[in-house]
Amino acid sequence: MSKIDIQNLSVTYEERGDLFTALSDVSFSVNDGEFVSVIGSSGCGKSTLLSVLEGLRTPTSGTVLIDGKPLTGTGLDRGVVFQQYSLFPWMTARGNVAFGIKQTRKGFTHKQRLEIADEYLEKVGLSEASNRYPSRLSGGMQQRVAIARALAMDTDILLMDEPFGAVDAKNRVILQELLLRLWQNEQKHKTVVFITHDIDEAIFLSDRVIMFTESPGTVSKDISVPFPRPRERAALLHSPDYADFRSNLTTLFFDTEAKIGETEEDWVVI
Amino acid sequence: MNIKKRFAKISHLLFVTVCLIHLIPNKTVKPDEFLYTLGFAVIVEIGLIAVCAAAKKPSTMNLPCDIAAFLYSLLIVWTLATSKFSLLKEMLFPPPGVVFKQLITDIPQLLPHIGSSLALVGKGYALALVIAVPLGLILGTAVRAGSAATYVSKFIGAIPPVVYIPYGIALLPSFRAVSVMVIFLASFWPILAATMSGVLYIEKRIVDSARVLNVGKFETLCKIILPASLPQIFTGMGQGLTVSFILLTSAEMIGARSGMGYYVKNYSDLGNYTRTIVGVLVIGIVISLVFFLFNKLQKFALRWR
Repeated sequence: MSKIDIQNLSVTYEERGDLFTALSDVSFSVNDGEFVSVIGSSGCGKSTLLSVLEGLRTPTSGTVLIDGKPLTGTGLDRGVVFQQYSLFPWMTARGNVAFGIKQTRKGFTHKQRLEIADEYLEKVGLSEASNRYPSRLSGGMQQRVAIARALAMDTDILLMDEPFGAVDAKNRVILQELLLRLWQNEQKHKTVVFITHDIDEAIFLSDRVIMFTESPGTVSKDISVPFPRPRERAALLHSPDYADFRSNLTTLFFDTEAKIGETEEDWVVI
Repeated sequence: MNIKKRFAKISHLLFVTVCLIHLIPNKTVKPDEFLYTLGFAVIVEIGLIAVCAAAKKPSTMNLPCDIAAFLYSLLIVWTLATSKFSLLKEMLFPPPGVVFKQLITDIPQLLPHIGSSLALVGKGYALALVIAVPLGLILGTAVRAGSAATYVSKFIGAIPPVVYIPYGIALLPSFRAVSVMVIFLASFWPILAATMSGVLYIEKRIVDSARVLNVGKFETLCKIILPASLPQIFTGMGQGLTVSFILLTSAEMIGARSGMGYYVKNYSDLGNYTRTIVGVLVIGIVISLVFFLFNKLQKFALRWR
């Protein structure tokens, strides 16, 4: 049984009086412990897909099954990392992580929660800044805290909506490596759905890459990433297989893009 | 910093001027109690020298020096215009020393008035806070931006609360109750409106984060919505506090038997302008102190910004 099973999912919403189809007939499944990236250009509905998985948006039609049970609203079986500004600004880094723990893991005292929070902040390399408020942290540091919060919640599923999209190039690489290391080191791998528009990021992190086309957003390609784990960035980037795979993926990506260019006028307006 | 940088300030020169102008003979008949003026100036100067001696960088001395310079200038003009050249009517404008002497002798009499005023503001304001903030949080989450509730609160909030005083007198048993009601109404609307707009304009990301964390309804209200709208709530609280004091003193002048406003009104009716000025000074000092504390509280509560 798949961990996440998405069946014929469609989302239509109204925007200034017009009905807009964000997702049309999306179907794919994610296995337990699998790292799947959803890639597509902005506006292809990939973030809408994630908001359905988060439980923030109800689909117009179709179903999402998690462990075989239909998804209803937000749930504590899923940890979420947004693109940015998702920390509570009035809580310290430590307070934010501890607050997440409080929601999912019952039976801990306040002190124990803070200890667990410190443990996870150490994992993301932020021990020093644990008592700082988000306004005193850089964008990259804020995302580290958000990752620490999501991991500390100890959920089976991790949903990440372009988590490194607003981080500068150098920090993005550092954060990708950090995420991969943390994910690989967990005894039981979490099931991850990772939204991105960065091909390299998708290849480096995932077991599978799912490509989206836009207007309406739907799955165009579902590709397995053949590289063995644990992956090491430098080695991977220099292997000839990587260059081939990347160029194939890029071609596919721009093929779907080109098709969109042709049908740009065909915004589905019902 | 060398000695020259630390102590060569125009404020000190003004202090010397304050002392020296007392060598000019008085034109007024009554004693001008110049020892009190000098005493006040010396206290300010001692404070200023202490601040300058302790200052680690020049910029920290600017504000105290400016305040002292302002006070000295005021004393100089005030002294020259009254006791020295008698430019102003002596009965309406007593010299500074006379006012200071009266202030000190009246302290035991003033304290109950201050207490009475603060009790009125405290009651009305606290009542407004306790009702307006929870109500604003609930209404803010329940209504949409720009809906009827926001317009209603804007409309009622626009009515100057002074107009309720006559109605309140007809409605309520005692004048103190009327004052509390008017202060309550005056601070209620700004706090309610600010709380509601604070809630309505919370960033969607924050709300989404709370939702994906499955935070319960009540906990969301207390731990997410309330702190997220706290900056606006404090703006509303500041407005409410300002209006409260305006209303307090107005109400006290209309019909009270105690309070700082009564003190001023009573003595100006009796033609004792020295005590009228004392009352005005005390009102200024008390309100400044309250706002000083309020700003400290705000800074602490919003230290995460």
